Amino acid sequence: MSGMDFEYAIKKDIRNNPIVREVDEARQRQLWRSVGIGLFLVVVLLFSAWQHFELLRHGYQIERMQQERAAEEEINRHLRLEFETLRAPRRIEKIATEQLHLVAPTRGQAIVIERVTPSTPPDKSVVAVR
Amino acid sequence: MLTKPNREAMPVDWRTTVRARLMVCAVGLAVWTAAIEARLVYLQVIEQADLSARAARQQMRTHKPPAKRGEIVDRKGRLLAYSVDADTIAAVPSEIDNPADVAAKICNVLDNCNTERRQAMASSLSRAGSFAYVARQITLDEARRVKALELPGLTLLKESRRFYPNSELAAHVIGYVGLDNVGLGGIESAYDSQIRGTAGKVLIQTDNKRRAVFSRVERPATAGAGIELTIDQYLQFVAERELRVGVEANRAQGGTAIVMDPNTGEILALANWPTFNPNAYSRVQDEARRNRAIQTLYEPGSTFKIVTASAALERQVITPESMVDTSPGSITFPGRKPIYDTHRYGLLNFTDVIVKSSNVGAIKVGLKVGPDVLTQYVTKFGFGQTIAPDFKGETAGIVWSADRLDASALASVSMGYQVGVTPMQMATAVSSIANGGHFLQPRVVRAFIKDGRRIEVPHKEMRRTIEPDTAATMTAIMEQVVERGTAKAAQIEGYTIAGKTGTAAKLVNGNYQKSDYNASFVGFAPSRKPALTILVVIDSPHGHGYTGGAVAAPIFKRIAEASLTYLGVGPNLNPAPPVVVARRGNDADAPAAQPVRTASLLAATIEPARHGLMPDLRGFSGREALRMLSQIGMTARINGDGFVLEQNPMPGSALVRGDACLLTLGRRPVVPAGGPQ
Repeated sequence: MSGMDFEYAIKKDIRNNPIVREVDEARQRQLWRSVGIGLFLVVVLLFSAWQHFELLRHGYQIERMQQERAAEEEINRHLRLEFETLRAPRRIEKIATEQLHLVAPTRGQAIVIERVTPSTPPDKSVVAVR
Repeated sequence: MLTKPNREAMPVDWRTTVRARLMVCAVGLAVWTAAIEARLVYLQVIEQADLSARAARQQMRTHKPPAKRGEIVDRKGRLLAYSVDADTIAAVPSEIDNPADVAAKICNVLDNCNTERRQAMASSLSRAGSFAYVARQITLDEARRVKALELPGLTLLKESRRFYPNSELAAHVIGYVGLDNVGLGGIESAYDSQIRGTAGKVLIQTDNKRRAVFSRVERPATAGAGIELTIDQYLQFVAERELRVGVEANRAQGGTAIVMDPNTGEILALANWPTFNPNAYSRVQDEARRNRAIQTLYEPGSTFKIVTASAALERQVITPESMVDTSPGSITFPGRKPIYDTHRYGLLNFTDVIVKSSNVGAIKVGLKVGPDVLTQYVTKFGFGQTIAPDFKGETAGIVWSADRLDASALASVSMGYQVGVTPMQMATAVSSIANGGHFLQPRVVRAFIKDGRRIEVPHKEMRRTIEPDTAATMTAIMEQVVERGTAKAAQIEGYTIAGKTGTAAKLVNGNYQKSDYNASFVGFAPSRKPALTILVVIDSPHGHGYTGGAVAAPIFKRIAEASLTYLGVGPNLNPAPPVVVARRGNDADAPAAQPVRTASLLAATIEPARHGLMPDLRGFSGREALRMLSQIGMTARINGDGFVLEQNPMPGSALVRGDACLLTLGRRPVVPAGGPQ
């Protein structure tokens, strides 16, 4: 009896393959949550670092552009100064008379076209007495 | 015999060991943490203020961008003074090993660097200290060359520098600015607080290489107010040119010319000779920088007879027709030499006393007027007081009080001696006669321009000098001076000119000189509707003449002629109708410039004139309108430039040949009051 029991015990084919281990959904969720939180933290960290370096990069860029702008404005001022220097009446007259050999028009060559001046006219009595 | 391990005791030992080791680690960690915490507390709490300040010093830089001085422009907006950045070479002397060598290298790349300047540079580089200027406000090219040297211990700083693009033009009016951007003369000095502006403040965060990372503008640099002058660049140029020519032709020591609008008191031009270039003001002597127009006193001589005559006419002491006996051509006062006329004129009417500039006649009239009244009018006309607040350092002049004027002194004042006036005072006094008796404050600042807004400075009437009738009578007498008197050289064809000459011996060390005179002429044109008052004073002419009529009047004429043409003030004596003629050159076959519109269109436009109606000239160019008006026998008065926007008489109204048509020209169409439809 005990032999049969033993044999039985030996030959008994216990197949535990089909046993499906039950998924612990709670732990699974916990795992994914942890992974998610971890990834989130990493992304936040990376985003923060990227933002910081972008800020630095743009800071340099803005400074450079501001300097460029200031330089351009200064060039503009220099050019305006040069323009005004070139059109100084003394210089123009010198070129006209010495290089181009122009002469001032005589009275017969120039006709004065009267222009209405907005200034206040003098007292009428000054005109009236004439 | 092997002893079996005590399986019961082992876990106890292991745990004890681990616990003990953990304890050691924990204590170590705690000590380490405590040390860090302690250090942090030390740095963040105890040393916080000091370290923050050190960090700020290291990471933050403060930059103070200099404020640009406001622009100075003429009455038409043409630039007269402007600021641009210039480089200044600065050095840290302690970082320079061989100052003489560095100075030589810098000197080689700078323009106009002589031995003296090189030694000065070497000297400043040799000084102990952390900062020294080497060369200030150098040019762009020089800065580029210095930068290329890459010398250690040198740095280029930006400084604002003042430039005057027209060089000498209106130098005495505009003034000049020192190296520290402070106005030292003229308008630059008088309105320095308004022009200068306020420097800004910018905080700059830097990295470990001292490169700017971020900047924050704490306070932006505020540019100074711009100033619009009453000066007209072209008239100023003409006045300076003619004055220079006149002074050189007459071999004079110097001179002054003032062009003024008598209706507003605005100074259109103010020229002095000798003059200077404000871009290099330090290279000339003080004499050249002196504004003679407001700082030099002179005895005006006969031009002052205008005041005597005005007082006499206003107080009805005399009339223009009253006879004055100037015989025997001289007059004597106790204790002084006789005063002579240039000719023995005999009996003259009062007009001729002024026309011929008789000293004896003027003295006799002055004695009739009396010291009290004459002094009153001298003061009314602005003598003996400062009258032009736009100028710093103006001289008040010398006027004797009435109680000090005995007969001899009164005689001197009557003919323009024993009184010290500035050219500005004389020009302003005559302007008041030109405008009918209003004494207007002479001014050179027309408007301030701040933050894009233009704030106009109104003209200011100080008082009335004489009644309009007296002014008209004076104008008539002064016209005679030019027509047949001492100032024939001032005549301009087509214009009536009123003026008065003056020739006064110069007083040097209490003695009147026999070879040095002040020759002057002051007048206004056209006398019946004055547009300009012009004064010319020539100091010590030694050419072909020395009188105001021979020396100053021709200069007046040249300035007036050019100015009237430029301002478009037409002749008032027999004015010719405006005719536009296409002038061809030598090549007769060359086609003349063709009008844009076809001849048929022009003909169609003036067609209504055949029926006695005014044609519609609107839309045509000013030139075309003038041509058409000329064809239909009308004259024109023009206001503006470009194309005809409005006309008076209106199209379709009755045509009056020989009448003037007022044309309003413009470049843009007139927008109705309610805005575009």
